[in-house]
Amino acid sequence: MKKLIYILIFIPTLLLAQKQKVITGNVTDKTKMPIIGASVYVSSAMIGNETKTEGVIESSMLGTTTDFDGNFTLKVSDNIKSILISYIGYETEKVDISTKTKNIFIVLKQSSQALEEVVLTGYQKIEKRKMTSAYAKVEMSDINQAGVANVDQMLAGQISGVLVQPTNGAPGAPSKISIRGTATLNGSSDPLWVLDGIPLEGNEIPKDFRDKDNIDNLQSYPIAGLNPDDIESITVLKDASATSIYGARAANGVIVITSKKGKKGSMRVNANANVFITQKPDFSKLNLMDSSQKVDFELLLASRSDLKYKQDRGDVARILNNYGEYNNFRDNGFSSISTDAQNEINNLKNTNTTWGDELYQMALNQQYSVGISGGSENNNYYFSTGIFDEKGSTKGTGQKRYNITLKDNISINNKLNVGIALFGSQNRTSSYITGADSYTNPSYYSRNANPYLKIKDENGAFVYDPDLLERDGLNLNYNILEERQNTNYELVSNSLKSIFDVDYKLNKDIYFTTQLGLQLDFDNTEKFSDEQSFYTRKYEQKSQYSTSNGYDYFMPKGGIIQNWNADGFQYNWKTMANYNTKFNRVHELDIMLGTEFRRNKRTEIHTKGFGFNPNTLTTILIANELALKNPLFNTYGKTYSENAYASFFGTASYTYDKKYTVFTSLRYDGSNLFGVNPKYRYLPIWSFAGSWNVYNEDFMFDVDAVSDLKLRASYGVQGNIDKSTSPFVLGTYDTASILPEVNEEVIRALSAPNGNLRWEKTVSSNVGVDLGLLKNRIYITGDYYTRKSTDLIGLRAVPLESGYNFINTNWATVTNKGFELSVNTTNINTPNFKWTSGLNISHNKSIVNDIEIRENDFKPSLKGYSVNAIFAIKTAGLDSNGLPLFWKNGKKVSAVDFYNLEEGTDGTQLTRQEHRNLYSYVGDGTPKFSGGFRNSFKYKQFDLRVLTNFNIKQTVKSAPTYMFTQAQPGKNYNTDILKAGTGNYPALIGFNSPGFDTDLVYNWFNSFDDGKTYNDLDIWVKDISYIRVSSVKLSYALPKKQLEKLHLSSLNFNIEGRNLFVLGTDHDGFFDPETYGSLYAQPIPRIISAGFNISF
Amino acid sequence: MKNIIYIIVFSLSFISCENYLDVEPIGQVIPKTVEDYRSFLTSAYSISKSHKLLTTYRTDELSLKANTSGIEQYEDIFIWNDLNPGPLRLDFPYASIYNTIFYTNHVINSQSTMEGKLLEKEQLVGEAHALRAMQYFELINLYAKPYNKLTAINDAGVPITTEYDSEKEYPVKTIEEVYTLILSDLNKAEALININQQTLGYNYRFSILAVKAFKARVYLYQQEWQKSIDAANEALAINNQLQDLNSDTSIMPSEYNSVESILALETIANFDLVNKATISDDLIAAYNQTEDLRFSLYFNQNPNGSYQSKKSAENKFKVSLRTADLYLTIVECLANLDKEILAKEKLIEFTKNRYTATGWNDYKTTVNTLNLADLKQEILEERRREFAIEGHRWNDLRRTTQPEITKIYNGTIYTLQKNDERYTILFPNDARINNPNL
Repeated sequence: MKKLIYILIFIPTLLLAQKQKVITGNVTDKTKMPIIGASVYVSSAMIGNETKTEGVIESSMLGTTTDFDGNFTLKVSDNIKSILISYIGYETEKVDISTKTKNIFIVLKQSSQALEEVVLTGYQKIEKRKMTSAYAKVEMSDINQAGVANVDQMLAGQISGVLVQPTNGAPGAPSKISIRGTATLNGSSDPLWVLDGIPLEGNEIPKDFRDKDNIDNLQSYPIAGLNPDDIESITVLKDASATSIYGARAANGVIVITSKKGKKGSMRVNANANVFITQKPDFSKLNLMDSSQKVDFELLLASRSDLKYKQDRGDVARILNNYGEYNNFRDNGFSSISTDAQNEINNLKNTNTTWGDELYQMALNQQYSVGISGGSENNNYYFSTGIFDEKGSTKGTGQKRYNITLKDNISINNKLNVGIALFGSQNRTSSYITGADSYTNPSYYSRNANPYLKIKDENGAFVYDPDLLERDGLNLNYNILEERQNTNYELVSNSLKSIFDVDYKLNKDIYFTTQLGLQLDFDNTEKFSDEQSFYTRKYEQKSQYSTSNGYDYFMPKGGIIQNWNADGFQYNWKTMANYNTKFNRVHELDIMLGTEFRRNKRTEIHTKGFGFNPNTLTTILIANELALKNPLFNTYGKTYSENAYASFFGTASYTYDKKYTVFTSLRYDGSNLFGVNPKYRYLPIWSFAGSWNVYNEDFMFDVDAVSDLKLRASYGVQGNIDKSTSPFVLGTYDTASILPEVNEEVIRALSAPNGNLRWEKTVSSNVGVDLGLLKNRIYITGDYYTRKSTDLIGLRAVPLESGYNFINTNWATVTNKGFELSVNTTNINTPNFKWTSGLNISHNKSIVNDIEIRENDFKPSLKGYSVNAIFAIKTAGLDSNGLPLFWKNGKKVSAVDFYNLEEGTDGTQLTRQEHRNLYSYVGDGTPKFSGGFRNSFKYKQFDLRVLTNFNIKQTVKSAPTYMFTQAQPGKNYNTDILKAGTGNYPALIGFNSPGFDTDLVYNWFNSFDDGKTYNDLDIWVKDISYIRVSSVKLSYALPKKQLEKLHLSSLNFNIEGRNLFVLGTDHDGFFDPETYGSLYAQPIPRIISAGFNISF
Repeated sequence: MKNIIYIIVFSLSFISCENYLDVEPIGQVIPKTVEDYRSFLTSAYSISKSHKLLTTYRTDELSLKANTSGIEQYEDIFIWNDLNPGPLRLDFPYASIYNTIFYTNHVINSQSTMEGKLLEKEQLVGEAHALRAMQYFELINLYAKPYNKLTAINDAGVPITTEYDSEKEYPVKTIEEVYTLILSDLNKAEALININQQTLGYNYRFSILAVKAFKARVYLYQQEWQKSIDAANEALAINNQLQDLNSDTSIMPSEYNSVESILALETIANFDLVNKATISDDLIAAYNQTEDLRFSLYFNQNPNGSYQSKKSAENKFKVSLRTADLYLTIVECLANLDKEILAKEKLIEFTKNRYTATGWNDYKTTVNTLNLADLKQEILEERRREFAIEGHRWNDLRRTTQPEITKIYNGTIYTLQKNDERYTILFPNDARINNPNL
């Protein structure tokens, strides 16, 4: 339908030209390979010359592009004498059409700039041959995947040195990206996202993103509103010489997004449609006990008089107690209890609730986008709109995004260019509510809910989990379906980004550019829980107070409604002057100077209403004054922040004879540092780099195998200053009431003054090589880097006499070293079959050179180890009673010897130093190698693309599948617990379990082990390696003949499977290797999609 | 033409930059004016500390029952188990006291740059001196031996800090040095403070009255009897009112709005002290339950017959100094100056407000028969009755006779020997970890 409208609108423009002729032809390169997508058009200048009348607007439609075989057909008015053929990397050809109009063969010559691909850094366009720094670029068309909302996930495994880890499988969940390791211990390690030159603002991804407090929290992230279909390419800037121009914010690397823009030629409409099915996750991955196993397990617990922990929980215990047979069973066994009780227990074995089906679903989802683009000599445009609608595999989760993008570039004259771009989006993310303790997180709950627990009874009423108790005697009635029905959690992010560009070319050497970017974000979050919900019931508990006859609650009856409204604004205005010149044929000089001003403001309002009635939308005021003292019942809160930045920067690059390039950059970053030592107001960031184009040397002339060779090296310094620390005593307003009825404004000291705080400094160096072999059919890029971050700011303990416990000071040093290698090859290239591959692999090793340990820490210092080092207690199997044994000085010892347990002590006999010494380093939580392997096959009209990403040797630690002193019948377990007492799994014990000193071991692990060493036993740690096949996509392009019949320029059908499988070490007990160890993460969805792409 | 515009834009951006970067964050402030510093010092006043109520657990005033929920926080304090306490035992305050000192130091050291009216500045800085003196006084009486004129010059006290510096060493100063600082601060406070008596609701702040009264206490602890009497008398010249319990039992004399109130600053009880501890039999026995008007005013009988404190965590029960303090200080000093008759007179004058008429007559008779040694003991007892659960008892025991105390807890008898070294509390663990000099 839409297609029709477009055709109707644009046909008249084609018809306007009165007398017309049809030009046909074919465009190839000198090897006779057809050039696909070359622009064939009539210049407005020619029309201007030929027709003096109103031809200009009309002429903008006069153009086409070549098809898959390099053919084109173009209708032009009769009086046009010539057309232009252009394609990137080739010299534009002017073809005379005054005589010959049919079957014109055009061979485009590679321009001398053929290899001079241009790198967009966001500040500059640098010719590739002059690039001295480490960067990587991917075309969106190579990595785009259906059914993926955000571009961050698509980067997984695509770029060397860029580690992308999905945080969660939830719709809209961000991926944690780290470029070349982590250079900070406390701060954010997120890279800076830049859209067409404008750095994006947004929330940081929490450092501990798998933590239960973060994982279910809906937030909007900088790139969430961007439709991947609008992206042309992505450039990742990795080393200091590339990122230093971005200043302090770029310490973690920069990802530059270049959006699509209109190309010269006639208007092109491109539409994409995809339907995708998100599959239900494989619940059996969790290895949970089924009802039969669970009932047997409960019977086992009940039969042992030594295992008393929560022994009255679970249905078996309830049945036994109902019949008064508990003791009888324990003493005389199953056969001795009454038949009724036996039957009831046996029935239980056959009652299976498949929690996987209740909590997870298969979902049918859709994704559409339409774009219109085109352009003439002095105007090009790109408009697009899109819808992305995804329901998650976890019931109740989903994401819906609407996009609109408008871009237009106008050449006002041959000196002045103006560009306007608008990116608007609305993003609705919905999820479930979990309470503060996250028992009700679906992933967590499904691991713990008993398999025989029914969700609804025979009458359809909700069955509340009898074993989800707050404490003995207090059950707040949880049913996961009721909770889904009666609660709601939604984030609506509205975002508008606009960019306004002006370029002015003064003369052939000098040009000016200025760019203003605005970003507006409105995030509205709403959490609603009805009166009939566990969340509300649990909240109400917090309003309990004692009265003369027992207790009461001051929270009014009704629902709870909570809103967070965040309003963010930023502008970024930069202006640059460029001077590029070439003299004496061999000297090239590029100088750029610029300023940048940035200001952002953010207001957040959080409101809470109690006694909410969803029909009248009203709330009830809490009258009780106890509510005033309880922050949980604060009904209004507001925060506001504003920051301003001013920066001055410059770069200079000198190239001699196209062989040697030196580059330097310097930037001063100034920001509003309220109360910060003025000497830190401007932060200098600089870099120095050089490259040698070996290929251009005379001696390379005869080396035929080598088609490109370049060596690069760079060195740079970046810095950061902690804004929360001041040499002055900085205060924050508050109120206090010291005596009754007097409320006063007070000023509390925010943090200790520290006049000695220095910059956090990261010194990076990089050496790299670019090597092209066999006419660049093999292209290798390799880099080796080191990044040493010194004076990292962290909290350090100080004498309490100073008035403080901890102050921010410079104390840690972290080094990252690593290499990156990417190899792109064209393996087979015949007219009918083409096979290309891209492999990238990188290795990063971080070492914490210096860090301060707090005297009362339980865990060892990271000093000398990786930032993500994992420490564990080395076990040595089990003794004859199933108690764990440990390694100490090369000998197997019991827990009693290992922990130095004695009768009558409570475990505090270990000093913290001794406690720390119990641990051994077992591995690095960051993968040793990571990367991806991409293969594309093209056979005639078929394209097959396989994307994979891999992690090799990553140490992971999971939460224990069971606690051996606290096995209880009330919850379900991983089947590991059935192996307790065998292999390395400690036997289930109670205080009175048989064995030597079992009581001591029991007491230690059950109560006194404050450092919770059980969670750190090496049996919960393992090394994993895996390769994930993230996308397999098969597409079919309609052949040219059919296209012509349908008057289309292209039509592709594609099917794609995402996350089809993972090969490697098993990750039993968890859905995915990426989220191994997290009990709360939602599964990463497996998606099958089908769709088409059409353009005309 | 165009490049001229660019040049203008370029240069403008450099010039306006300093203004551009001046963003005053909402809610944050660097104190400048005397009003700012007032709010800043109010913060210091509002830092609550638990030492008064924790030392009460150490005295003979309370009785604890094992297996009460949360008892792990107090039991080791109660039985003087300082060497290997349970992990949940509450620490005596240290960081919070030095944090208060940090505030007072900053106010004192900012006097010259503070903007505002002279009188207000002087009042504020005077208060800061007094508040600092009070912090050191609390520290020295928690973590050092009681003042002894002969040994104070060598006895280990506590670290002194009068300006912020996180890098410097904090060695322990002698008790004499700490008392010298306390007195010098109080003298400065007396010279600077210009408000005679604070108004109700603001009487957590130091006034001339409060500084003099506090000085009387410091001298009392130093056993400078005459100086103490002089200071107390100067204070009484400003307010000598006592609440006569025969005519008014609507509030306790220790409450912030009583006529006796001089400084209502310190928290003396918490929820657990009221609800999870009971008053020791010993303390109950110290009262004449029928004739002593304080008994039913101070205590509440539980259904099981035990008693709980009516002084609780509520703000209105905050107290540091009151006129009763001055009277009993004078009585004690007189007795120690061997002015037996005067001491008895003063004691009897004071207790008229505390006993029924009959009770007072009996008390008078008893007091008049006492010899000097017994009188001193009786004065201590009277203090115990008057200041029950107000956090005086521990210091009163320490600075006077350091008697043997026995307690039964969970079926075991615990004894604090006479002159036991546990009359001095050890520095808390986190303090020692962060300061190797302790």
